[in-house]
Amino acid sequence: MPKRLLGLLLVLPALAVIVLLFVVPLAASAVGAFQTESGFGFGNFTKSLELYTSDVIFTVVIVSISTLLIGLFSIAIGGYLTLGENPRAVALLRWLYRWPMFIPFIVVGQVLRTFLAKNGLMNNVLIGLGVITPLQAISFLDWRGIVIAFVWKQTPFVALLVAGAMSSVDRGNIEAARNLGASRLRILVEILVPQVATTLMVGLVLSFVTMMSVLSVPLMINAQSPTMITADIAFRINAYGDYGVANALGLISLAVTSCVAWFYLRYSMRERA
Amino acid sequence: MKKLLQAMLVAGLAASPASAAELTVITAGDQNMVDYVNEYLGPLFEQENPGNTVRAIGTGPGDAGSQKIVERFEAQKQAGVQTGDTDVAVAHEKFIGPMIKGGYLESYRDKIETGKLVTRSNADMALGSDVKGYVMPMYNSQAAIAYNPALVPNPPKSYAELAEWAKANPKQFGYNGIKGGASGVSFVMGWIYAFGDGDANKLMNGPFEEAETKKWDAAFASLKEFTRNSTLTPGNAGTLDLLSRGEIAMGPVWVDMFYSWQANGQLPPEFKLILPAPGMPGQPMHYVIPANAPNKELAEKFVALATSPKVQAEGIVKRFNWYPGIDAQHVQPALDEATWNKLFTDVTPADLANLGKPFPIAPYNDAILEAYEREATN
Repeated sequence: MPKRLLGLLLVLPALAVIVLLFVVPLAASAVGAFQTESGFGFGNFTKSLELYTSDVIFTVVIVSISTLLIGLFSIAIGGYLTLGENPRAVALLRWLYRWPMFIPFIVVGQVLRTFLAKNGLMNNVLIGLGVITPLQAISFLDWRGIVIAFVWKQTPFVALLVAGAMSSVDRGNIEAARNLGASRLRILVEILVPQVATTLMVGLVLSFVTMMSVLSVPLMINAQSPTMITADIAFRINAYGDYGVANALGLISLAVTSCVAWFYLRYSMRERA
Repeated sequence: MKKLLQAMLVAGLAASPASAAELTVITAGDQNMVDYVNEYLGPLFEQENPGNTVRAIGTGPGDAGSQKIVERFEAQKQAGVQTGDTDVAVAHEKFIGPMIKGGYLESYRDKIETGKLVTRSNADMALGSDVKGYVMPMYNSQAAIAYNPALVPNPPKSYAELAEWAKANPKQFGYNGIKGGASGVSFVMGWIYAFGDGDANKLMNGPFEEAETKKWDAAFASLKEFTRNSTLTPGNAGTLDLLSRGEIAMGPVWVDMFYSWQANGQLPPEFKLILPAPGMPGQPMHYVIPANAPNKELAEKFVALATSPKVQAEGIVKRFNWYPGIDAQHVQPALDEATWNKLFTDVTPADLANLGKPFPIAPYNDAILEAYEREATN
């Protein structure tokens, strides 16, 4: 048997899995988005935009804010792990920060639902401490709840990547900057972050895409209006059996994630060139 | 050879009821539906039909669960499956019409003993589809407004009074919109029955006319205003949760959930229910038997047992606080007075008869939901 054919044969099972389980369903849903009762057309998209424009905007804004916060927090965590001078605090942080990563989104939603409610644990503690009065207590179970859930869950993942990249940065750079009198914050912003920018970006892009696809958190915390696209897709299918508009909404969210992926690709191409 | 194989197959099928069989019951709804079959109905059936076993599978809560059952039947039909894998299915009434239209179901009510015990109209018509003969109601559930008497001493008796009350007490009324469970959907449907310019009876009984869907603008405008003044809760349980925490004083709930929470101590015993005029929709869950069920005779026996007065009294009313599926007068003799009274204290049988409405027929139902998305929340 010629060598080339053998290679093809070896690749075939993997290729078949990708085609059957990924490409075909994706193509089916993309085609489905254009199928309406009166043949092919943009009916599903018109309807999606008519009913869910605010939800699309809401989703993009929520996920973008979350991504931004995740970036800031993970830089802070990674920075402290690399530059921190109190060994005990560093060890404690290193031990603590990864925990949320192992908790599923649905559990995060459930936990935060009782924690952030108007009479939930958080407000009860604040009232007990005398920080706020019972009348000042407000429920965080709206867009803020979703952002808190996303940031809490995704920060460790990005922080893990960023901290790893930061620790592999040549210590000589840091020592040199410190010798010249740079503060730790300045070292973080001017030396460390630029050198781990690619890793940070990869982590943030992956987080962005993950958050776009989470259904459990918006359902548990805020399935009202406006809500996230995923909740609308589920509702379209469950309440109306309407796969057309659901597919259209799916394509819209795919377009959003593609934008992020495009930025990422462009950036990493330039890096390589 | 082929003939022989077919003959063997037929012989095998014919012989199967005599031997031990596994009855597969798939059910939409929350975990309590699966528990009901696994813990109560299944063992009872196995006791009466020794050697056979019952297996219950849940397909998930809400309409999504029933949608999955429809899709399963559809897929089996398209694949040309002769003998399916489901003996009995439990689904929401909205999905029975499509199942009959697709030819997936067996007409069996006249074949079983308990078929005569059902006369309520929602067992013949399900949201505008004729389902007579194809279904036996498992139970009837009803949505109502739950309230905290300490905060609301004089509860509003109609939707109009309720709207006034909510205006005077901002954020004290809570409901779960339409995406978080059917108690919110029921509340919205009731709002359209009350304030829509069209004829509510037409919405419930059909026929569907496009013109009718244009008559809700004013109702949705006021509902938008109302929603801005109320608290949106996360789900059916979310409303009860906020009620018990005192975050809201009133909200629509399912009657059975309300009583179950009270029985568990999750809701204070003094909380009460009221069914505001002109009424809120409730819905039955139906037992259906697929046309390609592997153990049809056994399945019929199972449904007959499940809709017998004894089981309806013990399982449906006493254990789960649902309203019986078969006519109530057949169930009452099998129940002690305390249980009966508990179920009908706040919402009397007369209230239920007058104010317990069906949901709108399927096309109006979808149109109202979509109009809600377009006009009340956008």
